[in-house]
Amino acid sequence: MNATSHAHRRALARTAVGVLMLAASAAFVGCASTPPAPTASLQAAQLAISNAEAADASRYSGEELGAARTKLASADTAVKEQRMIIAERFAEESRADAELASAKTTAAKAKAVNDEMKRSTNTLIEEMQRAGDKS
Amino acid sequence: MKPVNHSGVIVRTTLIATSVAAVLLAACAAAPLKPDGAAEVRSKLTELQADPNLASRAPLAIKEADTAVRAAEQPQADKELGVHRVYLADRKVQTARALAETRFAEDQRGALSAQRESSRLDARTREVDVAKNQADVAKNQAAAAHEAAASSEQEAAELQRQIDVLQAKVTDRGVIVTLGDVLFESGRAELREGSAGNLNKLVAFLDKYPDRVVAIEGYTDSVGSEDYNQALSQRRADSVRSYLVRQGISSGRLTASGMGKADPVASNESASGRQQNRRVAVIINNPPTASR
Repeated sequence: MNATSHAHRRALARTAVGVLMLAASAAFVGCASTPPAPTASLQAAQLAISNAEAADASRYSGEELGAARTKLASADTAVKEQRMIIAERFAEESRADAELASAKTTAAKAKAVNDEMKRSTNTLIEEMQRAGDKS
Repeated sequence: MKPVNHSGVIVRTTLIATSVAAVLLAACAAAPLKPDGAAEVRSKLTELQADPNLASRAPLAIKEADTAVRAAEQPQADKELGVHRVYLADRKVQTARALAETRFAEDQRGALSAQRESSRLDARTREVDVAKNQADVAKNQAAAAHEAAASSEQEAAELQRQIDVLQAKVTDRGVIVTLGDVLFESGRAELREGSAGNLNKLVAFLDKYPDRVVAIEGYTDSVGSEDYNQALSQRRADSVRSYLVRQGISSGRLTASGMGKADPVASNESASGRQQNRRVAVIINNPPTASR
């Protein structure tokens, strides 16, 4: 019984040491490295803004494009302040804003084309009715 | 131990268990639920998915939006992260809607341009119809004018034929039919038996042109007194008038007057000249509403 109890105690000690080491290493990793700058997110946001600008979003969806620019600027500031998690969130929101600006712009343009088609058809019908009244 | 004590232990244990459960429950209730705004974003997405015009038109974007909404709905201890996820989800739903609307607008274009084409065709058909109608009207008018011209030409020709039959002369006063003195015995005013043929041509003419009024004028030669000639010419004119009335010509259209030996048409020196001067002239006036 004694031998058994001894072996059991040793096993327990080993486990405890293992757990301690794991926790320590986790804590060490967490402390040692500040999270890296969210470069990919920042680049994606910048690209989305450029695309929106190219699509003339400032004309059709100025509010969203403005929000995208402001948030990208906030993301850059956060990076400088080493607040990387905040920076990443700003970058993601900036990208979402810019993509919405692009989508709204495209939709507005598509509707404008359709409206023009409807308008010209209606003009044609009106002219026809006028001509019909005359004859 | 007494049974009562035993049961007391059970009661106590139960109480403890209950309170522990209550604490656990409270912990659950206090645990972060869905972040604020997540429900609104979900309902926006549901609305988009239920729109028959849009739901099928941006499947990928809607799927992404759905993923984002699900992430936003995760109970979140970090309140700022929750707000962030709701914001992203909202933007993705809006983006998906805009993309679907774009696609919908593009899909409508086929129908719109077909509509425009058909209106354009209608307009052209209508123009052609109008032009054709105008051409038809013009053609009909021309035909009518042609017909009218033809019929007036025909009428004129017919009148001329009738005038020829009467051996009449067309003058400014009208058509003048001269009835020679062969109608009458010398010195008398009664119509001869055989003169009806010539007069009946006149009756036929007057029947055909009922709007023309007629002046009947009697003339004599220069033989005999003025009074005698005047009276004789008057009686001869009256005689012709009576005959015409008897043939059914309205007396209102007829005037008769004796002109005596006035207006000779030939010399009274010769017998043949005097014969020509003894005459009755029937002047058929042009209609009062002459169309020319």
